[in-house]
Amino acid sequence: MEDRISKIVIVGGGSAGWLTAGVIAAEHRIDPQAKQPFELVLIESPDVPTIGVGEGTWPSMRSTLQRIGLSETEFLRECDASFKQGTWFRDWQTGDGDTYSHPFTVPIDYADINLAPHWLALNGAPPFADAVTPQTALFADCLAPKQITTPEFAFVVNYAYHLDAGRFADLLRRHCTEKLGVEHVKANVLQVNAAENGDIRSVSTDRSGEIAGDLFIDCTGSKSLLLGEHFGIPFQSQQEYLFNDSALATQVPYAEEDQAIQSCTHSTAQTAGWIWDIGLPTRRGIGHTYSSAHISDDEATAQLLAYIKEIAGDAAAADVTPRKIRFQPGHRREFWHRNCVAIGMSSGFIEPLEASALVMIELAAGMIADQMPPTREIMDIVAQQYNRKFRRHWNQIIEFLKLHYVLSERDDSPYWQDNHATASIPDKLSEQLLLWRYRSPWHQDAEAVDELFPTASYQYILHGMGFRSAPRHTRSHQQDQLQHRASELFRQNAARASQLQQALPGNRELLNKVREFGFQKL
Amino acid sequence: MSQYEVLNKEKHRQLRIKTGYGAALGDAVMSAMTFPLEFRDIQSCYPILFTKDPNTGGFFPAAIMGFEKDQNLFLQDDGWDAPYIPALAQRQPFLIATGGEGDDRPPVVSLDLDHPRVSQDEGESLFDNEGEPSEFLKQKIALLDKLHGGLQHSVGFVDTLLQHELLEQITLDIAFNDGSKQTLQGFYSIAEEQLYQLKGDVLESLNQAGYLQPIFMAVASLSRMRGLIERRNRLRV
Repeated sequence: MEDRISKIVIVGGGSAGWLTAGVIAAEHRIDPQAKQPFELVLIESPDVPTIGVGEGTWPSMRSTLQRIGLSETEFLRECDASFKQGTWFRDWQTGDGDTYSHPFTVPIDYADINLAPHWLALNGAPPFADAVTPQTALFADCLAPKQITTPEFAFVVNYAYHLDAGRFADLLRRHCTEKLGVEHVKANVLQVNAAENGDIRSVSTDRSGEIAGDLFIDCTGSKSLLLGEHFGIPFQSQQEYLFNDSALATQVPYAEEDQAIQSCTHSTAQTAGWIWDIGLPTRRGIGHTYSSAHISDDEATAQLLAYIKEIAGDAAAADVTPRKIRFQPGHRREFWHRNCVAIGMSSGFIEPLEASALVMIELAAGMIADQMPPTREIMDIVAQQYNRKFRRHWNQIIEFLKLHYVLSERDDSPYWQDNHATASIPDKLSEQLLLWRYRSPWHQDAEAVDELFPTASYQYILHGMGFRSAPRHTRSHQQDQLQHRASELFRQNAARASQLQQALPGNRELLNKVREFGFQKL
Repeated sequence: MSQYEVLNKEKHRQLRIKTGYGAALGDAVMSAMTFPLEFRDIQSCYPILFTKDPNTGGFFPAAIMGFEKDQNLFLQDDGWDAPYIPALAQRQPFLIATGGEGDDRPPVVSLDLDHPRVSQDEGESLFDNEGEPSEFLKQKIALLDKLHGGLQHSVGFVDTLLQHELLEQITLDIAFNDGSKQTLQGFYSIAEEQLYQLKGDVLESLNQAGYLQPIFMAVASLSRMRGLIERRNRLRV
């Protein structure tokens, strides 16, 4: 067939390009001897250095790595990666040292019973997440989510990773080129060449000539060379909802070689943004993301240094020279246009709260790999589905992140005041908040099976930040049984928490063992 | 807790070692590590399963003697009721210690001073009046040598099993006659379907390394599980 899709060209490396290449190449075997060969070329600029930012992932990364065929042991060793079990928030509610947690494990028996109303009846003690999952007890002690005897990718409690994004891209590059048959072209793209029908026919490069393809994947970062520049798909700013447009990123060494490694991301709210603190085995990745309209870079730097002083001492703060990053929060109006799809920052970027960047790449690469259009004719249908789905994902990210700000009671700066302004809250979120005044979110709130953030995450944020859903004014026939079952589950959860605290090793202890012995595959 | 010391003629001259088997002598264990060179003897009495070292996650084969922690169904009032006792149980309270990888010093014999077999006045002497090792000690040292070589050979055996994906997880749900149930978790057995798919060259290399026979012995040993369950059923609880 003339219009068979047999050559994919990815423009841009980084974690977006290489993760996409890995997922597609693992799903569609590249075999030059095949009768109908399938090719995957990744064009990477030799002049753009990769930047080693510490990044958080979602638990989906475990299945993505398995899908690509990477060993977890190799991944942990090569990417300076550690285990992440969720996020711990400080100063988000009142700014007076308040804390709450968003763990990756859903509440105990979540499939069968909604514990939130039963927890609300307890009037606040213990905190919601502590009452419904043992995981938060593990955060507190910097414990690992598994043991050295647990097979790779399997868990005792659900987990994701913190990783060095630069080293992750390096590992993926090696794996893609050495094991998965991806062709790596080191060149700069000079020009995008259109076909007669308006598709992209090829790209012209400075050292590898013209490279033609059937499907082009734009992983060129915020430049958005193909989708944005060539096709002119407009960028839609979301800054009216989410104000943060700047970041200061740095690294802080551990004071002691054997210092405990946090097993969750720490997020500490400031007067015009928040500070992330990510524990990798060799260092901590710390940064401040903020709204440049509400605070100057100098003030933001001062707040970051004050945080580093607090957690690591004066000497650590003196050595810090943060790297400044500006970004426009928002996304393209569509993501797949004609024979070009944008993945990663070329499709959009929103501040790193809740670590949505890598998971969006996984979802995008996964959908393209699963639904790889066999012909050009089918591509437009897949593209429409893709655009609908990713518009939904972006909307959910915006609404879910905004939820963190809306629920805050902070009133100590214009940033927080502006965050409460009705105009800054997406309509759908306002509606949901009204609904949730009368019932806690549960399965009925999931609009699709592939929602980015599960309904349990909404429970953790809402009830973690003191949001109360009013008790129903009618009683179920089974009210007493349900209440009894809930009490029993709270008790079981507390028992399991102390049992796991005894059984699980420290995050650093397990990472050292992985370095020495590795995980078994079964 | 264990307190190991390198065996020393002067220091340990007066020590005696209690022989025989019993719970009071530290033999109430549900499994004992074994190694392929011992499989022929082990499979005549015990099921062989693979389990993981809690410290390293590494696999090792073990002779199974019970269904729960500290349960050795072969222990009776008058000793260990089996024609063969695993070398790892026979060697107590001794241990053969090496300096680890990269250390070429010869292995040394150590003993656990806190072991219930160690006594001042009861059991076999370690040294004779001249300070020379007793016949008893010589036998134990010979056993430790065999154990040491056997465990080293076992490392390559386990690596090879993993390389050919010949281990699989096994969960045993056992119902006993008294109505009680037990789930045996954390154990692995030879993946038989995988084993029967192996091609000639792989089988030849397994055979040359001395791994093929123990693989089939481990498979056959699983029929000893029936006998173990019977022992459990005979227990008066």
